[in-house]
Amino acid sequence: MQTALMKTAMVQTDLPAIQLQQVGVTFGDVVAIQNLSFAVERGEIVSFLGRTGAGKSTALNLIMGNLAPTRGEVRVMGIDPKAEFQQLRRVIAVGFQTDRLMPWRTALENVELGLQILHEEKTATRKKATEWLARVGLERAANLYPHELSGGMRQRVSLARALAIDPEILLLDECFSQLDHVTSQVLRADISRLIRELRKTCLFVTHRIDDAIEMADRILVFGAPAKLLLEHHPTEADRNDPAAFKVLHDLIAEKLGIVE
Amino acid sequence: MTIEVMQEKPALPRLPKHERYAGIITAVAIVILLQIASMVAPHYIAPPPADILSSLWNKLLPLYGDMLLTLGRLALALGCAMLVGTGLGLVMGMFPTARPYVRSVVVIDTGIPALSWMLIAVFWFRMPELRIFFILLVIVIPFYALGVADAIRAMPKDLLEMCESFRPNRWQVLRYLIFPHVLPYIFATTRSVIGYATRMIIFAELIAATAGIGAQMGLAQANFDIATILAWTILLVGLNIVLQQLVTWVEQYMLSYRQAIEVR
Repeated sequence: MQTALMKTAMVQTDLPAIQLQQVGVTFGDVVAIQNLSFAVERGEIVSFLGRTGAGKSTALNLIMGNLAPTRGEVRVMGIDPKAEFQQLRRVIAVGFQTDRLMPWRTALENVELGLQILHEEKTATRKKATEWLARVGLERAANLYPHELSGGMRQRVSLARALAIDPEILLLDECFSQLDHVTSQVLRADISRLIRELRKTCLFVTHRIDDAIEMADRILVFGAPAKLLLEHHPTEADRNDPAAFKVLHDLIAEKLGIVE
Repeated sequence: MTIEVMQEKPALPRLPKHERYAGIITAVAIVILLQIASMVAPHYIAPPPADILSSLWNKLLPLYGDMLLTLGRLALALGCAMLVGTGLGLVMGMFPTARPYVRSVVVIDTGIPALSWMLIAVFWFRMPELRIFFILLVIVIPFYALGVADAIRAMPKDLLEMCESFRPNRWQVLRYLIFPHVLPYIFATTRSVIGYATRMIIFAELIAATAGIGAQMGLAQANFDIATILAWTILLVGLNIVLQQLVTWVEQYMLSYRQAIEVR
């Protein structure tokens, strides 16, 4: 992690990993985000929970540097991600909702992509990609093409690709939502364990309450347009005790206006 | 954690037996028709298949130099057209400001008849090789340019966003994403254009050259030698089939990742 940061000289190490201050985004007359402020500390796993239209994807695009705020300030490791896009090379990696694997690359070659873009040496790239495939349990699938893999396996390759560059910040954009319940649960547990082991900062965008409670150190519940409704730090009791889990689940559902 | 991988490679679809022999049956039928025609029409209009075969063997085979010359011209011009056309297509696909200008040039080019280019080339260039190269280049470039530009337009935005999340430079986007994505389109264009390019090169040689298959066909026409013209024609059909197959083999090798699908 330190090596990655040293390579990006402008990164400031004393600031929160992600910071949004009074951010507003409008598309024409449509307000996507209104006065949004939150911060994610280094090594923290934060769930960004909200229903469709809550501005989750817009917020993620701001952090990724794909979008500039209409007003307010976005900082990633103290850097404006839009204006200084290249400064955040190797700092941010993204796990998307769909696997987004390149069909012409094998599983191993897909994992190598980020390392190749970062100009890693060829042998080191192959070694790291092989290791990461093994860490997500797919060492035997190295030479298979995406169409030869199941949905869960493809998403594992996709997450290995993101983690292989050893990013400081991992953004996960509803990356378990396309999978069936069982596959999603297993993958979520595996990825959660890896992120904690590696002490990565993670912003996990989701609309699934279960995913948020299971994965996060802190849950931010948003209503449209990106208005903070609830902030909660789930405890081990919240996760392990079915009654406590249900209470928290119901509280979040109520805030989101979900009637179950 | 280890995920068990179950893999069963789908078998490549094979043509049904009756389709496999369709080409041979059609060729035999044409030979029979030619034989019947030669019995009812004068031989300077419809020569018997035996005369055509004799021309093929005795007159054409010694002219292998002309065949190689035509093939060389075709390969060079097609290769250059592929490079230039792909380059123009990439400019159209990647630079929105330049797109309308380049597209206008390409569209104007597609509207100019091949014959106009041939006559213009005769005036512009003294060397026959340069004339033929130029003619084929200007005729074939738009196919590649438009094909590649359309391929870039059809590129999934998801893949571009994923690639950009690693913050690549423009060259890396081209190398890792755009080029592999447009490659199948380049092969598809080559397969569809190769027959047309062969016809055009023969035409260009007929008008603008003194050697090559086109020039030899012109000579046969001047000598009222219909058997030789038909022999050249048969040879060109065969050549086209061989070239198509060659492109298909290279394509299958280069794009081996593609999934074989069968529509019911």
